[in-house]
Amino acid sequence: MRPSYSDQEVIILENVSKRYLLYPQRMVELKRALLHLPTFLKATRSRQPFWALRDLSLTIRRGESVGIIGPNGAGKSTLLRIVSGLAPLTKGRLTVRGRVSPLLELGAGFHPQISGRENAILNAVLLGLSRKEAQEKLPDIVEFSELGGFIGQPMRTYSSGMYVRLGFAVAVHVKPEILLVDEVLAVGDAEFQRKCFAHIEKLRQDKVTIVLVTHDLDNVKRFCERAVLLNQGVIAAEGKPQEVVDEYLASHFEFSAATASRGDF
Amino acid sequence: MAAASSASYADSPGRLNLRGLARTWELLLLLTARDVKLRYEGTVLGLLWTLAKPLLQALVFTFALSTVLRIKVGYDVPYVLFLLAALFPWTWFQSSIQSSAASFSNNAALLKKVYFPRFVLPLSAVTSQLLHFALSIPILVLLLVIAGYYPGPEWLLGVPLLTAIQLLMLAGAVLLVASFNVFVRDLEHLVEVLMTLWLYLTPILYPLSMLRERVGPVIYLNPMASLIQAWRDLFLYDQLPGIDIWPALVFTAIALVAGSITFKTLEGHFEAVL
Repeated sequence: MRPSYSDQEVIILENVSKRYLLYPQRMVELKRALLHLPTFLKATRSRQPFWALRDLSLTIRRGESVGIIGPNGAGKSTLLRIVSGLAPLTKGRLTVRGRVSPLLELGAGFHPQISGRENAILNAVLLGLSRKEAQEKLPDIVEFSELGGFIGQPMRTYSSGMYVRLGFAVAVHVKPEILLVDEVLAVGDAEFQRKCFAHIEKLRQDKVTIVLVTHDLDNVKRFCERAVLLNQGVIAAEGKPQEVVDEYLASHFEFSAATASRGDF
Repeated sequence: MAAASSASYADSPGRLNLRGLARTWELLLLLTARDVKLRYEGTVLGLLWTLAKPLLQALVFTFALSTVLRIKVGYDVPYVLFLLAALFPWTWFQSSIQSSAASFSNNAALLKKVYFPRFVLPLSAVTSQLLHFALSIPILVLLLVIAGYYPGPEWLLGVPLLTAIQLLMLAGAVLLVASFNVFVRDLEHLVEVLMTLWLYLTPILYPLSMLRERVGPVIYLNPMASLIQAWRDLFLYDQLPGIDIWPALVFTAIALVAGSITFKTLEGHFEAVL
């Protein structure tokens, strides 16, 4: 009883909770830890728990593009970090099927002292390609990033725009099956942003699953088939982008303007 | 519900393990290459420093110990050779631990944003230092030949064998140090001091016999003593390591187990403090 290819569930979160323990600063100082051992141990035991996600269940199918919206601190980025494997979950189950390419921060791990070319290869391998695949993709990456001759230069000579362009070019060329995008597209000039979205649109047609975290509600309406509104670690609303965005705006309006009465949305 | 949690990733079903292993290996190679490249970036001598540094260090020690203190090694080889035969493998050991201590904490940006097998970070420091060590062996051979000693066929077995032991020992040790250093940054500074102390406690500048006379079997507590002695016997006398090497083997096993358990346990908490 196999689900058909296009319907296959590629990201399944079941009752996922994520707790962060807020480590007191002195944790990192051995001297103080040893000198004040009793207090230190007590402080360690009574670390403040913070629940970034609470009992969250969400299923995303292959080829879907889902927008995650919500106020700051709602748990959007934590959700992406969990799906990408960067953050272990505290409770619940997570199943991910396919190669995940996280665009959480463009060019994370780029080293300024070595050339753009070497950084691109290393980054592509970090993101899951083999070295040979990375070499083969290099011309496409260079072309997309519009870096031209600069690709052989050490990255310390790059402008921040060039940095981001190379980061994005690598991330979208690693043959992702699941692309996680966290707000990164807010950087770069308008022209490059347009290019990025055009490329994401192409990936979408190629049945790449896309999870987009953003504050740009227009982009959610434009690129996503489904939207999820997070608030304080739980799903507050889920459904068609237009409706979820409206609900978010309405509730946000309610929060910020206390005069608004409880609407019937 | 229970506090149990699980996460499963199915990347390219069926080929997961092989592919993952190959990728880890390539990652290690790329990071090693980057490390070597970065080390001497902007220097005139470049990779030559790999050879120049231990040689200059050896000259300093030779001057201090052989000329000034007039230490008697009881070996029939010149002091410089006696010293280098132990100093080269020791340098691999010491620089690996020192340069890998901060390999997690200094790569916070990467660890927080990209998921990859994280243990390759400290391991790449060990392998890049291994490369430096490998490059220093021809220098040693050259000096030995000049002094009239010719390396025997025992090297073909002895060098890979001792390299493997030291590589495994280092792999465990750096995982331990680098993992703890994420939480207690003092470690990277402490390690620097301790390694200098360790250098003097190990028969590198002086012969093992000198230490054995004074402290007796306590020397077996220092795993590097037996390993360094094995390197020296191989380089100077073409002697393959014998039963005497057991402290190094025991320590290697302990380091590997402790290192991997520590890393496995602490890895999940990295993101909370980095």
